[in-house]
Amino acid sequence: MMPKFHQLKVLEVQKETENATSIAFDVPYNLYETFNYKPGQYLTLKFIINGEDVRRSYSLCSSPALEEPLRIGVKRVKNGLVSNYINDHLKIGDMVEVMTPEGRFFADVKKENYKSYYLFAAGSGITPILSILKTVLLTEERSYVYMMYGNKNQDTIMFTKELEQLKSEYPDRFIFVQTLSRPKSNWSDLWSTSKKQFRKGRIDTESVEWFINEFPPYAQNTEYYICGPGTMIENTKSALKNIDVPSERIYVESFGTNTSEDSVESIDNATLLAQLNGELIKVSIPKDKTILRTLIDAGKKPPYSCEGGVCSTCICKLKKGKIHMKNNLALSENEVKEGYILSCQSIPLTTHIEIEY
Amino acid sequence: MMHELPVEAYTSQEWFDLEQQYIFSTTWQFAGLVEDVANVGDYIAVQAGLNNIFIVKGRDHRLRAFHNMCRHRGTQLLRAVGKSQKAITCPYHDWTYDLEGKLISIPKKEQEFPELCNKELHKCDLNLHQASVDIFKGMLFVHPDKNAPNIMSFFGEVEPYLGPHIPEELIEYQEKKEVPFYSKEINANWKIIVENYIDHYHLAHLHEGTLNMYDHSKAEFGWAGPHYWFYEPLAPAYLADVKNASPYPLIDKMPEDKMGAYVPWLFPNIGITESESAWNTFHAIPLAPDKTLVVIRSKTMNVSEWEYTKQYTKSMASKVWQTMGNKGKYEGDANDPMASGDFMAEDVYACEQQQKSLRSPMFSVGAQAQKGEFAVSKFQRVVKEWIEKHKDDDA
Repeated sequence: MMPKFHQLKVLEVQKETENATSIAFDVPYNLYETFNYKPGQYLTLKFIINGEDVRRSYSLCSSPALEEPLRIGVKRVKNGLVSNYINDHLKIGDMVEVMTPEGRFFADVKKENYKSYYLFAAGSGITPILSILKTVLLTEERSYVYMMYGNKNQDTIMFTKELEQLKSEYPDRFIFVQTLSRPKSNWSDLWSTSKKQFRKGRIDTESVEWFINEFPPYAQNTEYYICGPGTMIENTKSALKNIDVPSERIYVESFGTNTSEDSVESIDNATLLAQLNGELIKVSIPKDKTILRTLIDAGKKPPYSCEGGVCSTCICKLKKGKIHMKNNLALSENEVKEGYILSCQSIPLTTHIEIEY
Repeated sequence: MMHELPVEAYTSQEWFDLEQQYIFSTTWQFAGLVEDVANVGDYIAVQAGLNNIFIVKGRDHRLRAFHNMCRHRGTQLLRAVGKSQKAITCPYHDWTYDLEGKLISIPKKEQEFPELCNKELHKCDLNLHQASVDIFKGMLFVHPDKNAPNIMSFFGEVEPYLGPHIPEELIEYQEKKEVPFYSKEINANWKIIVENYIDHYHLAHLHEGTLNMYDHSKAEFGWAGPHYWFYEPLAPAYLADVKNASPYPLIDKMPEDKMGAYVPWLFPNIGITESESAWNTFHAIPLAPDKTLVVIRSKTMNVSEWEYTKQYTKSMASKVWQTMGNKGKYEGDANDPMASGDFMAEDVYACEQQQKSLRSPMFSVGAQAQKGEFAVSKFQRVVKEWIEKHKDDDA
């Protein structure tokens, strides 16, 4: 099914923390099938802000196994155009252009499964993890979930109430550890009983190893899901690999990746020959434009969705020349070796580029 | 005929081989208790039907199972128990595998196996054959197929009928280290032993003086999938004084209103005996058509030596045992199983005596108790159908 935008009405806007909101959408009956999703997938939203067409992808935190509306979690990004727009301006009743759910990061949940799921979430990375968590607990009656959730302090924890409720509802199958890198201390701590609610520190090599030692899997078919900022993912992944977790059991979704400065310079006005929908297009790529943007500006309709290097809708094959991908979270090493590129992230490094969609 | 199966099913090598192939190599097989591979790097190797399979615990605390066979010339890689940290090396030519079963080293590779040099070793299709391993109620199970149906699809149905015991919290009762509570080669076909285990009718007769602390008249039993379940409460006199009379400290998870013995048989060859004071596995391993090794491992409450001493003293003083639990069916020498006052010796005796008659031309099963022996013919039907199904799958 080709991803497609639909107008959806905002059903609910809920403040989750000082800096995060969750948005629920009303899906009309005739679009139920179209908006069916797997836990872990995301929605891409399209807005026109200051006359510019902008798209951002946000993970669904609702569960397809529950009778609940589609809900995404949006945390403010410093100077972020869309996340702040959503947090400041979006209100109940607004119509939003929403693309059908997508994403390769999901759990294949089945009633008869018997597995141990290790879930690692940091900050707003909780959104797809929460969806997986709820869906597994509800659907797979025998599976176990071992979850670690990292935050800066008590105030940045999203979905606290929902998580606590799940913990008390599934005490035998859901192990939940929270860790805070900079916990706030309260005066009340002085006289509260010393029952520790939080572990101190980040989700890193040491804490991940501690966690698995402390909570070894009961069901032996294990899967590991990680979602959070780039460094947290790298640390968790390398901790798991250090203790010989096979990589085919590890699933990763990266959040807020454009933090590192990208210093690769592109070639000005390189020629682009693109094979698209049976048409051979010849244009030149203006400075700092991606291949995808160049084609869109030329009035063409290349496939794309997230424009963030995550979803791989804009994939094409490089036939000639060299490019640089600013961000690639979708293609495997092998796919890159075979010449596949994400056109939304590609800038030219040679004067002549040939691609085929 | 023995109800559903021909008598040869209990005496012939042909049937023995059939069962090895189509029952014991197509089911989840008991491999031990979770604590047998407690630590990272621990491994055990077990025979499961035609397959020898080893289980090893990785550094991620996940168990892996592989066929215990070097891909070079088939040599068994690991002995029964041991510890290996990162790699498994075959004793014969030192071929070495990592804990994912991937081939990582061959001595003299360049000179002797030049054809393997243009690929990475683990891509040469010479990795260890994978098997499956999982845990059910504190017990390890292996399956020779790496894509085995998940263990809860096999045992899930019977789980609600098992006792409230949490075996992981109990400790093993061993007089000597590494020696199970009970181990004996019995001169009977494995199915004779199973049929004895699930036969309700004999309890009040063969064991009239040894198992009379349980109330057989109130027994409940039935089938869940291919598995048999059984429960009977304590006899009123024992129940009234159980806190004193129990030989070991009482299992703390036992509800007072449902104090009794849960005695399920999990297909094909592992029974559990879950009582008010102990939790036992009863593993019947076929060795020959007329020979079966029975290994019982026993777990009891994880409390201090002192608690055991106190309980033992109270139990000895209890009047309950003057009339229950230890009186042989016949008078006589204690070495006579029927006079021993030991229910296990009585069962072994009955099984061996039955096996002896199977070769007689006059042998036949005369009649079947419709309630008390229903399980016997049902078990035979399960065996028959399981073999037929897996023969068909093979064909």
